[in-house]
This record gives sequence, C-alpha cells and structure tokens, in this order.
Amino acid sequence: MSDHLATQDDVDAFRAEVRAWLAEHVPAEPLPAWTSREGFDLHRAWERTLFDGGWAAVDWPREYGGRDAGLRRSIAFAEEYYRAGAPERINMGGLYLLGPVLMQHGTPEQCARWIPDVLSCRTIWCQGFSEPGSGSDLASLSTRADLDGDHFVVNGQKIWTSMGAFADWIFALVRTDREAGRARKHDGITFLCIDLRSPGVEVRPLAMVDGTEGFAEVYFTDVRVPVTQVVGEVGQGWRVAMSTLGFERGAVFGDHAKFSADVDALASVVEHRGLADDTQALDELGRVLVETEVYRANVYRLAALAEAGGNLDSTASINKVFWTQMQHDIFDTGLRLMQEDAAVVGDPAALGDAPPGTRRAWADWHHRYWYARAAMIFGGTNEIQRNIISERVLGLPLEPRPS
Amino acid sequence: MTATSIIPPGAADEDRRELVRLTTDLLGRHSGTEHLRERLDAGQAHDPRLWARLAEAGLVSALVPEEHGGAGLDPSYVSGVLHELGRHATPEPFLETAVVAVTLLAGSTDTAYAGPWLERITAGEVLVAVRLGGLTPHVVHAADADLLLDVADDGTVRAHDASDLEVQELAALDALRPLALVRPGTDGVLLAVPPAVVERARLLAVAGAACLLAGATRALLDQTVDYVTVRHQFGRPVGSFQAVKHAAADMAVMSEMTTSAALGALDAVEVSTPEDARRRAWAAKAYAGDAAARANVSALQLHGGIGFTWEYHLHLWLKRVMSLAASYGTTSALRRELARELVDRQRERRG
Repeated sequence: MSDHLATQDDVDAFRAEVRAWLAEHVPAEPLPAWTSREGFDLHRAWERTLFDGGWAAVDWPREYGGRDAGLRRSIAFAEEYYRAGAPERINMGGLYLLGPVLMQHGTPEQCARWIPDVLSCRTIWCQGFSEPGSGSDLASLSTRADLDGDHFVVNGQKIWTSMGAFADWIFALVRTDREAGRARKHDGITFLCIDLRSPGVEVRPLAMVDGTEGFAEVYFTDVRVPVTQVVGEVGQGWRVAMSTLGFERGAVFGDHAKFSADVDALASVVEHRGLADDTQALDELGRVLVETEVYRANVYRLAALAEAGGNLDSTASINKVFWTQMQHDIFDTGLRLMQEDAAVVGDPAALGDAPPGTRRAWADWHHRYWYARAAMIFGGTNEIQRNIISERVLGLPLEPRPS
Repeated sequence: MTATSIIPPGAADEDRRELVRLTTDLLGRHSGTEHLRERLDAGQAHDPRLWARLAEAGLVSALVPEEHGGAGLDPSYVSGVLHELGRHATPEPFLETAVVAVTLLAGSTDTAYAGPWLERITAGEVLVAVRLGGLTPHVVHAADADLLLDVADDGTVRAHDASDLEVQELAALDALRPLALVRPGTDGVLLAVPPAVVERARLLAVAGAACLLAGATRALLDQTVDYVTVRHQFGRPVGSFQAVKHAAADMAVMSEMTTSAALGALDAVEVSTPEDARRRAWAAKAYAGDAAARANVSALQLHGGIGFTWEYHLHLWLKRVMSLAASYGTTSALRRELARELVDRQRERRG
C-alpha cells in the first residue's frame, strides 16, 4: 500500500486553495468557548461562513452540497483547517453522524428535508442514545414510542446528551415494540428524529465537572412525532444506531491534524517553562508526539484501504481506543508540564512571553482535558470497545451471559 | 489457528498483496517453528538453504536495480515482506542485506565496486552486515557476513571484506539474532555514497526495524489469542474472562497501530519530504519498541507457566522483540530526538 497524499498535484492545488481561503477568513481572535451562549452564536456564525465558502463538508457528495473531495483532499482540508487554528466545529452530531447516516439509511425526502440545514448549520443536531438506566447496555433502553395513527407518541428520558442545551433536533433511539424486545432486546428499537421544540419536550442542561453546560437531560412527555421521521425500518433502529456508532468510533479522516497542533503547543510550553533541556520533559513530549504521528499513519492507512474499497468495520473500535487514549495523554502531559500552574485554570500569565497561539491553547486546556476524559466514555466506553475487539476482531469466546 | 479479522499488510494494493502472499507462503513452509528450533539447536541462526529460497523467490533482490538483476522496486514494496519476516521470527539478515546494504550500494557512485556486490546479492551468494554509527553499535549477523558496510555518523561509508574483520561475538539475548562487536583491520574501501542516500539508508533501517517489530508483535498477539482460546480453567476458556480479553484487546490495538506506523514510514521514504519521512520513521520505531515491550508483558502473563518453558515457542518472539527494540534506535532516544527537534522547529517558526 502506498499513500500518495503528499505528492499529487491536484491535492496540492486543493490544499493551496483551502489555505488561501482560511488565511482570509479564520477569525484573528479565537472565539469564546461554545459552551456559553455568546460563544455558541459566534461558532454558529463561523459555520455559516464556512458554508457560504462551500467548505462545510468537503467530503460529502455534490448532490448534498459537498465537494465530493475524496479522502485525500478531505484529509488535506482538515490538515489545513487545524493548522490555521480555525474554530472548533459545533455541529458534529449533524455533520459527522446524522448526515452520513441519512445518506446510508434515509429516504430521499428525509435527505432533502434535513441535510441542507445540517450543512448550513441552521439546525444543530444532538444524539439521544444514553438513558439513566442504559449506558453501556444501550439496548436495554426504555424510552417508548407508541403508534397512534400516523404519529408516534414518545415518553421517556435521555441523558448525557452532548450539546443538548444548544441543539434544535435530536436523533433518538426509542422502543417501539416491547414484545419483540423481550425476546431479543436489540429488536423493536426505532431510530427517530425529533424536533426539540415539539410540545412535551423538556431540555434540562447539566453542568459538567468544569461548570460548563456541555450536555443535558432530555425529557419526553407524550411528544407526538410523525412516522415519516423514522430513519430506516420501524423496529430495526439498532442497525442504524450501529452505523452511527461506527462513524463516531472510526477514523474522522483528518482529525490527526488537530492533535498535532496540540502537540505543537506542548512543544512551546516545554520551551517557555524552561524545560527544553529537561530529559524527562522531552521524553514526555516525545511520547505524545510519537502517538500523534502513529495516529496520522493510521488515518492514512485506513484512507488507502477505504479508497481501495476495503471494509473498515473491524478498525473502528481499535481506532477509538487509540485516539481517545492519545488525546488523554496529550492533555494530561500538558498539565504535568505546567507543574504547579496546572492547579490554576487556563491562566495565560503562567506561560510568560509564550506566543499567542500557545497562550490561547492553554486558555481552554482544562476544558479540553475534561473533554478528553469524556471521550474515553462516550460513543461506547473503551471497556465496551475492548469487548468488541476481543470478541469480534480477535474471535475470543463470548463471556457467559446471565440467562 | 487464529481467525481474526485484522486487515493484513498490503491489503490496499494488489502488487503488494501478492508480494506479502508470496512471502507468507514461503516462510510458512520453510521458516516455521521447526526451522527456528533447528537453527537454535544448531547454534547457527543463518541458514544458507532458506536464504537461497528467499533469493530465488526474488525477495532478496526486490530493491536491487534492474541492471543488476533485481526488480528495482521502491522500498515501500518490502514493508509487508519485513512484517512477515518479523511475524515468523525468521533468523536472517534480510533488513541489513536486502534493504540497507542494497540501498547504499545501489546509490553509490562507485559502480565498479558496488555493481558486482549487487549482482552477488541478487544471486543470493552473499550476506552484508551494516553498522550505522550510533544507531547500531552491535552488528547483526556479523559472523555470517561477507561484507560489512560501516556508516559513520558523519555519513562516511567504508566497505570491509570479511577477511578484514575481527568479529567478537556477543552473548546475544536472542540467539537467533546474533550480535557482535566488529573491528576492521584496515581502512577498507571508501565508498562514495551521496549524503541523501546515506540518510535514506538510515531511514530504511529504522522504519524497516519497525516493520519487523510490527510482525513480531502480531505473532505475540496471535499466539496469545490461540492459547487463551484452548486453555480452560473454571470450566471455560480463559479467553472468555474479561480481564484476559481486555489485555488481548490492548495488544491488538498496539499491534495494529504499530503496523500502520511501520508500513506508513516505509511508504513515506518514497513519497514524502526527507524531514517528514524521518519523523515518521523515528516515530514508528519509537512506538513499535514500546508497544512490543508491552505486548511482551501481556503475552507472557496470559500464557502463564507454559510461556516460561524453553520447549514452548513463545520465548523466541519475546526475545526477538526485546532485541529489535534495543536496535536501530531505542524508544527513549528516538522520542527525545523528535521532541528536541519539535521544540527547535517551534522556536524557528517564530523567528
């Protein structure tokens, strides 16, 4: 296998175009974190700018407003995006999860109805999978949807809903057939899209460990949802959910560049903390630098396999365990390099005369540290991933299940 | 045998897939555990018959230019071959002779000297050992070699015939990867090799060692999966216990990531800038050494008592990964070098 990512003229030309556009449009001052209302609105405006430039989802097919850029150009776009220090993308649920899921499982009407607003960020989507009693054992979920004419009536509760407080719509897993579920719990589940402004929906923001409102609880009381908002077949939602989780766990082609930018900031921290000749600090920096390079190589390899028509199903869980641990290592290393100042949240003064980029990175380091901790839990905990790897990739015997 | 759904090396490309298939088939027949035991009992790692087969199959000369009888392929073609050699713990100096030495000789402007050696390599008649300054103070397979290419840290390359070498064999941790200290008796032949070629040979040595480690780590994983599947305790396979499964899953993550990094590093030598290729080779080897060390711990732990016996084969791979991890750049040395360069680069970027 070979990756010709760096040599192809058309990729280079595309890269140059991206770079020029970003240089002109990326805000000079970093936006406030999206976890505040003001920060969120500014991020949304940025998404609109990206959309107007035609850059919202370069990998998407043209018919959905993308550029059909292919994997190599998409990777180049992401590399340039993070290198330019452009704002965090806020509509991940829509762009990376719902959009691809609709293209795979949705009807043409559903695609036409929802996808354009995902692209322009007019609609922010969140994911309604976890429930108070159903985390790792997702299929035990009990939010119910009962058919009443051409509507489902939804009752129940979702929790740990990322961006729930800011979202407009939710794609949720609901139980539509309790009989089927009793025989086999993965049956009788339906993937349903719900407008969060519907009567009977209540969103209660949850403060996270750092005090920001990054996630929420969503309560449904007799919420009426048209049956036309079911994605896939009624009762077959588990399949749709699994392909959603596949997107969440697998390689987001190009996100390695984000981690490399973080490691660059760490190198600057090493210098400005006076650790440039400290063997142990260099060892720690070297460790995360190596991990990001390994991750980049994995992204390139998976992209080459995908381009050759290979099936990447067996790689998603391996990828998730690695990138979430790497991300944790990066932010944890940052805290250790900051020594005593790690106990002070994001004070740029702790970095003295470090360049603005480094001070900026440090300003929300703790927030991103907590996000890194969350990533080892969301999308299926890393323990669940290890079960999947051992049973479905390595073929080890199933653990005896309680009958 | 294991029935994993891990994607094999070379999978994205038909030519490379074919080369991997050829290697796997050859090594499966002639470099299995029986072969390793035979070499161990003989006290002689290198086997001329196996080397002849590797040469006949065209693997030894894959990178030799066509005018000297080889296939003239670019190095990315042999990443999967090296992975398979590592997976079989094949006790031959393939990386040294067929990759590093071929690169130095083929890139040398002294064609009158290098040409005949390349032809003899293609014919499978000779083995070449390499010493790469600080990267390899110990020379692998030195006692078997017909020629030593001695690359100083300043890039000077000297060639020494076996007759010019005093070889002091060391008590190698891995008896099937023999190591020696070598003292040339004369200045040998000063070989004209452009600096870019020397750098490329260094990158290939480091990235190639990462490929060998990736294969050996995969072998540790496969043997462990096989063992915990057949070994029963408490009335069920030990591989059905979650503590065991999670350790195996972590080995799979490390094995896969090592493979991606190692194969990618060899690709990069051909397609990337020298700086980027170097960063990727150093990172691949640094990660491979660390991942193999952790896989080594888990593999022996999950095998229990049987893994400690001389009769059981696991130790051949345990020692192979330890020996490879200590050669061609240790993890901590490579990490620190990369870190120091990144700090400098960040400083320069700001001017």
